[in-house]
Amino acid sequence: MGLATCGIAAGADRVYAALESAIRKQEHNIQLRRVGCIGYCREEPLVNIHLPGKPLVILHRVTEADTGRILHAAATGDVPRDLALCRINAWDPIVGDKLVFGTGFEDIPAYETTPYFAPQQKIVLRSAGLINPEDIDEYFAVGGYTALHKAITEMSPADVVHEVIISGLRGRGGAGFPTGLKWNFTKEEQSLRKYIICNADEGDPGAYMNRNEMESDPHMILEGMLIGAYAIGAREGVIYVRAEYPLAIERLTAAISQAQRHGLLGENIFGTDFSFSVTIAGGAGAFVCGEETALIASIEGQTGRPRPRPPFPAQKGLWGMPTNINNVETWSNIPVIIHRGGKWFSGIGVPENSGTKVFSLVGEVECVGLAEVPLGTSIRTLVFDIGNGGLRGKAIKAVQTGGPSGGCIPASLFDTPLDYAHLTEVGSIMGSGGVVVMGTETSMVDTARFFIGFTDEESCGKCVPCREGLKHMLMILDKILAGRASVADIEILEELSGLIRKTSLCGLGQTAPNPVLTTLRYFRNEYEALVERSRSS
Amino acid sequence: MIRVVINGKACTAEKGESLLSVARRKGIDIPAFCYEETLAPYGACRMCLVEVVKGAQEGITTACTLAAAEGLEVLTQTSEIVSLRRALIELYLAQAPRSEAIRALAQRYGIQKTRFARKVRPDDPLQNRCILCGLCVRICHDVMGAGAINYIGRGHFTEINTPFYEESAVCMGCGACARVCPTQAIAFEDIVQTRTMKSWSGTRVPLHACSKCGRHFAPAPFVNYARQKLAPDLQQTPLRLCPDCRSREIARKAVLLSTGAAVAD
Ligand SMILES: Cc1cc2nc3c(=O)[nH]c(=O)nc-3n(C[C@H](O)[C@H](O)[C@H](O)COP(=O)(O)O)c2cc1C
Ligand code: SF4
Ligand code: FES
Repeated sequence: MGLATCGIAAGADRVYAALESAIRKQEHNIQLRRVGCIGYCREEPLVNIHLPGKPLVILHRVTEADTGRILHAAATGDVPRDLALCRINAWDPIVGDKLVFGTGFEDIPAYETTPYFAPQQKIVLRSAGLINPEDIDEYFAVGGYTALHKAITEMSPADVVHEVIISGLRGRGGAGFPTGLKWNFTKEEQSLRKYIICNADEGDPGAYMNRNEMESDPHMILEGMLIGAYAIGAREGVIYVRAEYPLAIERLTAAISQAQRHGLLGENIFGTDFSFSVTIAGGAGAFVCGEETALIASIEGQTGRPRPRPPFPAQKGLWGMPTNINNVETWSNIPVIIHRGGKWFSGIGVPENSGTKVFSLVGEVECVGLAEVPLGTSIRTLVFDIGNGGLRGKAIKAVQTGGPSGGCIPASLFDTPLDYAHLTEVGSIMGSGGVVVMGTETSMVDTARFFIGFTDEESCGKCVPCREGLKHMLMILDKILAGRASVADIEILEELSGLIRKTSLCGLGQTAPNPVLTTLRYFRNEYEALVERSRSS
Repeated sequence: MIRVVINGKACTAEKGESLLSVARRKGIDIPAFCYEETLAPYGACRMCLVEVVKGAQEGITTACTLAAAEGLEVLTQTSEIVSLRRALIELYLAQAPRSEAIRALAQRYGIQKTRFARKVRPDDPLQNRCILCGLCVRICHDVMGAGAINYIGRGHFTEINTPFYEESAVCMGCGACARVCPTQAIAFEDIVQTRTMKSWSGTRVPLHACSKCGRHFAPAPFVNYARQKLAPDLQQTPLRLCPDCRSREIARKAVLLSTGAAVAD
């Protein structure tokens, strides 16, 4: 039973309870397990059924009323066809041996031919929705912790860093800095104490890939951090999780204690002199606390306000010590890189953009959910092939990528590949991978106003361009929307955008004007129409 | 010592020193509101923008947070920087319309008025002059060790005051905040034996009386604080006296010493 937050919101916990009591009452020889989310959030609640020798069948939109007939069918070696979404005959968990489920049920569409899944490639979500995130044995069963063993017992720290460098992996927290290079900075620092941090603050509205990664496969993150700590020479790690993610915190906490019991965290891991421990820190609830220097201040108990870099965390981070900070999804890729090799990893995606990215597809799109695709996949593939186009067949006007400070990309540019350089070129950013789909009825000025409203609200207030500049941008946008603005106001808006982008202290301000800049670039007529209206009235 | 080049002029600097310090020493004018040499660079006011033309991070950055390195070359007054600064000044004019310091700077940059809506609060404890540079908060916390004031709220709702807008129990009344404030926003007042920090929720601090003339001349908690900072053999004498009595006392001792007489305290 898929029981991540998204599934639970769709009623999965009630279905789970119904299945549990029915199995107990009827004494079926059926084992019921919790799994995370495979990413097809629109179709939840999802139940995976595995009958011996048969493919794993994913049932969708299951309700409590369906439980009786699901169990009845299972007892007779079958599955209810009307609930079947697709079947998985075999699965490659990337770091372990291939899982072979079985054959049969040919009439149920194969996973590989399901439009939602066909263009996807699961590297990060390699086991999400298939294993029990609360059971370390299931993680072992898909090759868990073998990459760690390999790193510690067969590779030197320099080898590990080298492997990550040649993988071409770039940070998934937004800026896309090459991970191996970053590790090397901290590795090269001479210090008795070093830290690593997993950034799980995920504050972008509409983005929830990190939440799913933690809820569906927490051990993969711990394993990634362990490998990183070994490479860098850190003995302590912190996972900074936003407080709004109680289930993620619960599962990570459980995973940490299981790993401790198995000697995978603690002193002398695998009998070597490598020791490492992890603690969880709860987020302070502000968007800006996801920024690395503000995050570090927040862990130290200070107000979450960014500070100038340099010094970078690699030089002076947590408690003044060299600190390496990476996003949840960045850490999640590490075991794969060690297991399969950096070269293998670099073959996925496009040059300079290796690997996959999990995107959260939300808004006015038919199939909402988390989709993992190789970098370089076009927006069109994501929105039309995976997302199946606009909600209820409506036309799509634009997508907004990269969270509140990303840009709006018009439908005419949907062949743009989803990679760092191309997104920047069209005025947007990769950010954390949020993709909001907007239908033709959406007002782009309104949209820009919404996002500026968000960043203005979340500005920490430290530096003047972001604090004061966004406030005035918001006032001008309100004036335009109310039909009281002039052409000069549009010019002021542009000037302020440039000022905030160029002179703000941290990434929040530096990217905040993107929604205005891109809507002015692609939908200027909408601004002009509003201004025109105020002139004629 | 290393060499950096500012506006084509070679300057010597300590490695890692703030470029703003180097420039100031050379008499090169870079406006700056949030920098104070005794405090760590903060990078909040963004007025000290310069352009790095040769160095590790080329492009526009803040001089206060820029570390001097061999061969670093910067320009402080390009047309782009000037126009960015002008826009920032307009934001400051709107944020702190009663600040004379901001108006003076605006005048130097040829700005008559701001295009942005001005924020005026009749009851603002900081007299509509605060630009949130944070110097007062930092000097109070980092240098004086008191931490009497802090930021309240965030974004453009940020204010600086005592926690819960209550009189502070830890404020020593030293006035360091008022001294570092670049816009003279912080007000306090001495009436007979009490100093009132008008900007800080009316915090009252008793004044210490001169042991000779009886005049109340310095905040008592600050006199105690200063005493603790002095070497033990100096802890008694000087601070009991107000500045006038102290100079008289010193003059008296000097005269007596010159005559070879024995000097008593
Ligand atoms: C306003 C702001 C918010 C951010 N929020 C997050 C976040 O929620 N999660 C995250 O991983 N990175 C976030 N970042 C980026 C981090 O500062 C940092 O670059 C990242 O954690 C580095 O990890 P990576 O190299 O693995 O991407 C944010 C940056 C800014 C400026
Ligand atoms: S850019 Fe915004 S969020 Fe970042 S330090 Fe400045 S005021 Fe704070
Ligand atoms: S003095 Fe450099 S930002 Fe304020």
